[in-house]
Order: sequence, then structure tokens, then C-alpha cells
Amino acid sequence: MGMADVSEIAPAPQALGRSRRRHGESVVKAVLLTAALLSVATTVGIVAALLEPTVGFFTHVGIVEFFTSTDWGPLFKPPSFGVIPVVTGTLITTVIAIAVAVPLGLAAAVYLSEYASARIRRVIKPTLEVLAGIPTVALGFFALTLVTPVMRDWSPFEISLKNGLSAGLVVGVMIIPIVASLSEDAMAAVPNGLREGAYALGSSRMTVALRVVLPAAFSGVVAAIILAVSRAAGETMIVVIAAGSNPLFTVNPADEMLTMASFIAQAGSGDAPVGTVAYNTIFAVGSLLFVLTFLMNWFSARLVRRYREVYE
Amino acid sequence: MNTMAGSLSSPPKTAFDGPKAPRDPASLDPVFTVSGLSVFYGDYEAVRGVDLNIGHREITALIGPSGCGKSTVLRCFNRMNDLIAGARVSGKILYYDEDVYGDHVDPIEVRRRIGMVFQKPNPFPKSIFDNVAYGPRVNGVKGDLGSVVEEALVKAALWDEVKDKLKASALSLSGGQQQRLCIARTIAVKPEVILMDEPCSALDPIATTKIEDLMQELAREYTILIVTHNMQQAARVSDRTAFFTAEVDDTGVRHGRLVEFDETSRIFTNPVDKRTEDYITGRFG
Repeated sequence: MGMADVSEIAPAPQALGRSRRRHGESVVKAVLLTAALLSVATTVGIVAALLEPTVGFFTHVGIVEFFTSTDWGPLFKPPSFGVIPVVTGTLITTVIAIAVAVPLGLAAAVYLSEYASARIRRVIKPTLEVLAGIPTVALGFFALTLVTPVMRDWSPFEISLKNGLSAGLVVGVMIIPIVASLSEDAMAAVPNGLREGAYALGSSRMTVALRVVLPAAFSGVVAAIILAVSRAAGETMIVVIAAGSNPLFTVNPADEMLTMASFIAQAGSGDAPVGTVAYNTIFAVGSLLFVLTFLMNWFSARLVRRYREVYE
Repeated sequence: MNTMAGSLSSPPKTAFDGPKAPRDPASLDPVFTVSGLSVFYGDYEAVRGVDLNIGHREITALIGPSGCGKSTVLRCFNRMNDLIAGARVSGKILYYDEDVYGDHVDPIEVRRRIGMVFQKPNPFPKSIFDNVAYGPRVNGVKGDLGSVVEEALVKAALWDEVKDKLKASALSLSGGQQQRLCIARTIAVKPEVILMDEPCSALDPIATTKIEDLMQELAREYTILIVTHNMQQAARVSDRTAFFTAEVDDTGVRHGRLVEFDETSRIFTNPVDKRTEDYITGRFG
């Protein structure tokens, strides 16, 4: 049968161009877009809310005094505005927390991802994540009434009743689940073929974990640590309860110390009238915390781009 | 020997005048002696009662339909099955006169001596150099890794293509190059045996030809076992072929069984077992 015959017999093909509006689709899209914009708007709103009082603060307080003086007492008379003690307080508690959480969290992640049987993983991982659900106020009292007294009994050094060490340790415990759980997710996502390849070359389990899986999961692990650091730097309740409120300029973790977050809580729960310098100080410190956290995120993103191993 | 392999892709083996002694097809100088090998996953016996000899510096092909247990058997030779929870082996695999599954045997040492190349190229997400250097480093080789890496890449017929970009990511290579890199990575550990689990099934025909040529070349120095679902490939490259199939026993459970093991030319021209013949002819139409 020739082509001409076919065209005579066959019905004309139906046009494709019958467009039909799918209303459900556009509603879903609008809802999703709203959700995305809402989180952006929240961030912008926070920045905007911080900005105005922060500018107001710096019209009264010299930027040089703020960043160079080691005397912090914005609520005292006469007030002093050297932010260094609260920055060091934050750094010390955060560094202690990270020193606890990164090794333990990574070890837990390596164990769960590379050593544990499926059955053990099914029990341990949710248990670990429960730790993340403990109210920080409870952890704060755990630090104050258990960790600190034990340390004071056993340590050869002088330890204050309120101190950065105890607070840092317990903040570290608090963020272990973040490091462990997210790192384990990243390591579990490493293709099994890479593990098999490494085992087939005569690697031990430890070698596979440390030289193949961990590097391949690097970007996920760094993301987990960043989140943990941000969480530690911003942690308030534990520090308020266990580290005290005295803004000593010190590098000794056994001393009492004030962090940025705990200052904000302390001042914010006081009665500084709106528009006063004391009130604006809260926002200035908040801005600084925001900027520091942002810088850390940015720096880590660069680090990840540089060192990550892309599989697939 | 291997008359079927008068193929387009590979020169006949006699063209090589390397250290490899001319083979006597009748006799087999065994590297592995497998006897009564069964593999269990939990209570399920996936492979039952395999007897097989693997000849020194020969290429042995394991063929058969899906689910016949050929890959499972291959993964016994370097104890990769140990890594699967619940996997268990009975019977014996002698490597020369040593039981691969003996009590005193370290599976890590087994895997160092018996290398493996996988179905999907699986280079590490590291540089080309670091991929090849991985094995020597892990196994504590110190000193000039550069020459070790170069030698392995030359042997894997990849050196000319990558010598100017050893620092580039292994994942920037094509699939066929990645697979040759995986072979180079295996060679760098200086194994005696190389296991290949469908090494060309993810590759295009040109890359496949390159790997097959390479296998012929490597067989002068290494004993090679290859699992393939491509019968022409088995016919082209191998000296001996083991045909596996899945059989249902009295209780209705399927087990992988070795049906026939012989010189490749005989398996493909004059098989003894009806099942082998059916499989071969079925595929060739």
C-alpha cells in the first residue's frame, strides 16, 4: 500500500495543542513559592530589625571603643561598651563545645555508618537523636548541679561555681547528635561501590572509613559541623545557667564568663526602655553574632568547594 | 585452543611472545582448586556444590543466566562476600595449597593478592594519581610512588591518555577510561589474580574492545576470572568457560549450580550438557 492510500484512509491526527489549564498545579506552585519567600522574608526582616537599633547604638558609642575595650558593662553606671569579653566568652564556650562534639560526633557517625549492623543502627540512631530533644534548660541545670560540682571535686585547679568550661562541655553534648546524625547521613549516601573498590584493594574497615568514605562525605560532614557551631555559638540557656553573667575578660575556661547570647538574654529580660543605649546594645551584640556566624558559614562554604570530592 | 576467538577485536594469543608459556589445553596448572563450594545468604543456599579449577595465567569465564550465582561465586575468591551480613560459605577454595577461608587467613591479605574490578567503574573521587596510589599507600608502600603509578597505568593501557593530567579528577575520565583506571588501581597492588565482575557491561563497544584487548595482554602476567553475561565476550577472551545455571531442587528452592566447565572452544562448539547447548544456541539464535 502506498503512502497516498494511507493518508486517505487514516483519520486526521488529533492536534496536540489542546491546552488544558491544570489549576491544582498553579495552586501548588504558589504555595511552594510562598513558603520559600517566607523564609527569605524572615531573614530579611531579622536583618532589618537588627539594623536600625544597631545604627542607633553606634551613634552613641564609638566603634573603636566597642571593638577594642575589654570592659563590658552597658547596663551599669557609668556604662562601658567593650565587646571583647563577651566575644571571647562566646569563643571559649563554642570551642570547648566543638572540641567535645566533633570527635565524639564523627566517631559515632563512623561507627554507625561503617561498623554497626543494621539492627544496632536502628536502635542507636534514634536514641542519639532523642538527645537533641532534651530541653536546654534541663541541660543547663545538668551542667550547674552535676558537671560543675564533679569537676570542682576532682580538678587540681580552681574552678568557679559558674564557669565556661562546664557550660561548653554540656553545649558540646547537646550538639553531638547534630554532628553525628547529619554526618552519618552524608556517609551513608556515599555509593557502596566506592567501599567495595577500597576493600578489594586490601583496605581495612578503618582505612575504608577514614580514607574513602569520610573524604567522599566531606561536604556533608562540614555542613553538619557548621550547623553545630552555629548552634553552639547561639546557645543561650545552658550558658546563662552554667557560665554566669559576669563579663570577665579571661581566657581561662574555669572562670565565670558572659557570652553574646547570654548577654542578650540577660539584658532582654531586664527593663531597658526602648530607644535607650542599653536597649540598642542588645541589637548591636545581636548584629555582631549574626555577622560572625555568617562569616563562618561563608568561609566554610569556600572550604567545602575547595576540598570536597564529588562522586557521580 | 580458543579457536572461537578468531574475532575482530583481539589478535590470537599465539601472537604474544611474552613470558607466558604456551598452554597445553588438556592439562591445567591450578591457582585455585574449588571443591564442594556452597554459598549461603542466611538460610538460603544461593550456590550449591561447585567444583572448579582455575588455571595459572589463564582467563576463565563464568557465564550463565541471571541469578545463576556466577557473581556470587566470583566474590568468594577474594572473600568479598564476607562484607555481606549473613553470607556464609562452605566447601573449600584452595589458593595453591592454602584455604582462602582458613581460620588463620586474613581476608585483607586475600584481597591484596586477589584483585577485583567491578561492573560499574568505581574510581574514588580523587585524582587519577591518587586512585592508582591508593592501594600501595594503604598497603604501606613507601618511596617512589610515581614509578609504581606509571607502571600500573602503562600496563592498563591508560598511561598515554592520562600522563599529562595525573592530578585531574578520576571522574573527568570517560567510562571506559575509568574502568581501565580501576584495572590500573588493581594492578598497582601487584596481585596475582584479577577478578572481573562484568567489567564491560556499563561500557560502549569501543571501550569494551579496549578492555578485552587489555585482558588478553594482562593474562600473560595475571590469572584472570571474568563474569560476563555476554557470551561472545566469553568466547573471544577466555581460555576456559564455566557455565552456571539456576536449578530448582525437590523442595522448590532455586540454587545456582555449575553445569559444565571446559575449554572455551569446547563449551561453545561441542558442549557435553544439554543445558549448556540450549543456553549457547538460544543466545546465538
